[in-house]
Amino acid sequence: MDDDEAIARSLDGDLAAYEALVARYSALAHRTAYMLGAGDEAEDVVQEAFVKAFRHLPGFRRDAPFRPWLLRIVANETHNLTRSRGRRAELALRLGATADVRAPDDPEGEAVATDRRARLLAAVRGLPERERQAVVCRYFLQLTEAETAQVLDWPVGTVKSSTHRGLARLREEVGNELA
Amino acid sequence: MSSREPFDELEAELLALGDLLDVPTPPPSDVAAAVRARLESTPDAAPAPGGEGAGAGEEAAGEPQDPGGGPDPAHGPPATPIRPHSRRPRRGEDRRRPPGRRRRWKVVTAVVIVVIAITAATPQGRAAVARILRFAGIELEIGAAPPPPVTTTAPLPGERTVPPSEVPSRAGFQVRTPSRLGPPQRTSVADGGRLVSIFWPDGIRLDQFEGTMDPYFFKKAGPPFPDFVKVGPYQALWLPGEHPLGYIKRVDGSVVPLRQAAATLIWQQNGITYRLEGVRTKEEAIRIAESLE
Repeated sequence: MDDDEAIARSLDGDLAAYEALVARYSALAHRTAYMLGAGDEAEDVVQEAFVKAFRHLPGFRRDAPFRPWLLRIVANETHNLTRSRGRRAELALRLGATADVRAPDDPEGEAVATDRRARLLAAVRGLPERERQAVVCRYFLQLTEAETAQVLDWPVGTVKSSTHRGLARLREEVGNELA
Repeated sequence: MSSREPFDELEAELLALGDLLDVPTPPPSDVAAAVRARLESTPDAAPAPGGEGAGAGEEAAGEPQDPGGGPDPAHGPPATPIRPHSRRPRRGEDRRRPPGRRRRWKVVTAVVIVVIAITAATPQGRAAVARILRFAGIELEIGAAPPPPVTTTAPLPGERTVPPSEVPSRAGFQVRTPSRLGPPQRTSVADGGRLVSIFWPDGIRLDQFEGTMDPYFFKKAGPPFPDFVKVGPYQALWLPGEHPLGYIKRVDGSVVPLRQAAATLIWQQNGITYRLEGVRTKEEAIRIAESLE
């Protein structure tokens, strides 16, 4: 069952089909909510977004991709949450445990690489909100410029300029040398 | 994906960093069950036929300006589905769909398939599991001892050989080929255009697929252990030994063990995950990977 069929069957009220769609996009939705600032509340945000997406499925244009449409709802729910918390959406990210598996034969090189990753992550965390959102969408979530524009509800030009400024700031902060 | 330009080093670093970031996610089936329970517990379980006063449609789709200017599903007319339900494809029709329809899903990179253990779950096997490493759309279970080999082989879902000229229209993303390997023997497209495999003599194959959030393949490995290497600016993983490879369809839960895979280089580049299998040495595999064009 591909997305199109899952959506068609969901529109007919087939909850099992929608369940399959939710399972398919669950990880990406969580990652998006978490990285856009929902943090520990990502689970609630994602559930709410999926419930709302189901209700508004009839408004989804079937010839368009489902992914950015869904992620925009996730981004909106995240925005509502951070706005209600009344403070800046913090980027609560940490490097995964996977980072320590690599290069057991080169502990020194590994330490340097780990340090650089940590500095880069800290620099991303410290970016002004719009630049950070653009960088998170484009690189951590690997969305295209067009998808980022749709998900954040910005003009494409704003995505381009925010990404550009964010990258420039990161270069200033951590330099351009490779880990 | 046409707006994606070649990435510079910092951008490549950010992409690699994103893959290493730990985001806690509950099991997808739990989320799906919770959402379903919420939909069932409320009176309007069926999708609202538009015109609803509040909710995601308002918040997600109700903004007056259309930033993209192009086809934007979140700005679609709220009242009715664009197409009547009768237009939907019948079950099993997906693979026969003409390429034009499939291309609509070009940017949908979510992977339909998740991946599972395929070797027999012996008590020793379970105890020996050291850690799970997720890397570039592939989940790797690394144990203390070599895992028992898979003795069967199976094709990928919906895998079929296609003439080279048809690859661009059948694949859901831009397919690349390493110039160092010369002309391939054959090319196949699987899973509704989500995965493309290119084959050369001597058991060399390159699999490529879009999407990096969910693992597509599952691998098990023990000694000799995987090795982190670089393909140009991209982080890569070299699995020096034979190892079991498999996956499962998330949608219906069916298990599909694939085969015992040969030594493999895995890396990710511009949102596409590549696995190059069957090259004997790490150095040669990296050279081949770097010749991708």
